[in-house]
Amino acid sequence: MISRMLDGVPRRARALLGLLLAVLLIAPLVVNPYILSILILVLYFAYTGQAWNVMMGFAGQLSLGHSLYVGVGAYAAAAIYTHYGIGPWAGIWASIAISVLCGLFIGFLAFRFGISGVYFALLTIAFAEFTRVGFDHFPWVNGSGGLFLPVEEYASNDPLNLRGAPVMFYYFLLAITVLAFLFCRWLLTGRIGYYWLAIREEPEAAQTLGINVFRYKMLAVAISAGMTALGGVFYAFYYNNLFPEQIFSMSRSIELILGPIIGGIGSLFGPILGAFVLTVLAEGLSEIMVTLGYDIPGFKQVFYGICLLLVIVYLPHGIWPPLRKRLGLESKP
Amino acid sequence: MSDALLAVDGISKSFRGLRAVARASLDVPRGGIVSLIGPNGAGKTTCFNMVAGVFRPDEGSITFDGRRIDGMRPDQICHAGIGRTFQIVKPFRELTALENVVVGALRAEPSVRAAQRKAEAVLDQLGMLERRHHPATQLTLPERKRLEVARALATEPKLLLLDEVMAGLRPTETDQMVAVFRELNQRRGITILLIEHVMRAVMALSQQVVVLHYGQVIASGAPEQVVRDPAVLECYLGEEADL
Repeated sequence: MISRMLDGVPRRARALLGLLLAVLLIAPLVVNPYILSILILVLYFAYTGQAWNVMMGFAGQLSLGHSLYVGVGAYAAAAIYTHYGIGPWAGIWASIAISVLCGLFIGFLAFRFGISGVYFALLTIAFAEFTRVGFDHFPWVNGSGGLFLPVEEYASNDPLNLRGAPVMFYYFLLAITVLAFLFCRWLLTGRIGYYWLAIREEPEAAQTLGINVFRYKMLAVAISAGMTALGGVFYAFYYNNLFPEQIFSMSRSIELILGPIIGGIGSLFGPILGAFVLTVLAEGLSEIMVTLGYDIPGFKQVFYGICLLLVIVYLPHGIWPPLRKRLGLESKP
Repeated sequence: MSDALLAVDGISKSFRGLRAVARASLDVPRGGIVSLIGPNGAGKTTCFNMVAGVFRPDEGSITFDGRRIDGMRPDQICHAGIGRTFQIVKPFRELTALENVVVGALRAEPSVRAAQRKAEAVLDQLGMLERRHHPATQLTLPERKRLEVARALATEPKLLLLDEVMAGLRPTETDQMVAVFRELNQRRGITILLIEHVMRAVMALSQQVVVLHYGQVIASGAPEQVVRDPAVLECYLGEEADL
């Protein structure tokens, strides 16, 4: 199994990945809190981008409503914690389960009735939107007033309840990003991966070769939704407040998919690279603008738009595939 | 009748009132090679699509290996033992030739590694081994046609449905393909049903020819006999009598 995952990965790629991991592991020891907060954002987008990529990049199903899974995951664990005092490590399973069920429900509606492509994407937006409206009027989580997690001064980090300093969240996010990367590599090199790519490329031919297209599409949605929900849990416990208007908003769904699109849809490193490039550039540029005395609202969104345009025009497969070629890291047969 | 691997009995299919196939029947004997010919629009591909599970017949039955398969999904029909190719090739474009065939090989193989070995063997058999690491987009049309065959073969079918795999090939390439199919048929015992316009291949391969015209079977029998049939000559060969 391990050897299958390493198959065809050049030695240099393994070395660079190891180096990157080492840098990320020691980074919190040397950077200031501001840089750390940006790195946390990077990891959050790398992780959720990887999760989205399972559906779009591997199985070819475009979801524009992934904020649904982030939000449902975040709300489930946070509400269980605030109402019953049950810690997030138990709540995570509820988050994942509910999110997977939401995904399966949408997937069932779409795939059973042959809704695909743009229409499928519209359906995902619709579900995220009416979940947002629903949560606005959901008293158990305080509706549009927002759900707040108790915040106190902590003497030390409490990892069991996910209460503590940003550096703790950094390491948790790093861990799930690494695990997601390995998990996706494992999926992609296995039977499921071949089936997904076949479905993405040519569903009719895939079915002719004995693939139960419906089942494997459902599997992609379930895995993607479950992974995304886990990201949502860390989001909730890091920010300590949840508002339906924010977490379920369309712009959050878009933000989440920009990383993989710019990094390279369907590639494993694309979502990670995309998250780095976008977040660091956007934060850096707005910081420079503020220092220069230009505090322009919506600057980041415009910047994202320009990045997206440039990548779509000049690098339709994203930054990573050509960069990988340039670095000589292409997998050998 | 009982020795037929595939028995198609009186199937019909209409599209918005247009009767594409009308009560067509044909038998493919176990281990045989049967050609389905007819002018464009005669309903050949529609027949194929019903056998392969793309469409459910409006009436009639399809029995494969002693089992009713009409109305089953294409993936179930593949598992039952029927492999098909598409007239308009449908390669997995971003995948290499080898990966394309691995997808098919996974139907019967337990692991990815085993499927990779199997896929290499199949590509070798079709003379495409040295092209295995090329993306499907870089293959020529004849190569893509062979890739279709390789992918279907890798699923280990008992019956192979070939939809115009010789179209666009040069005569020497056609002869190579004919040799490949003859070997598959004789050595591995694969039964073949093919739609073909290239009469050179039809005459060389088939033990039996079925002629479809306006969705109806108008003649069937040995190739030499069918091409002399006056009804066939009139409707079909009359238009392009270049035998």
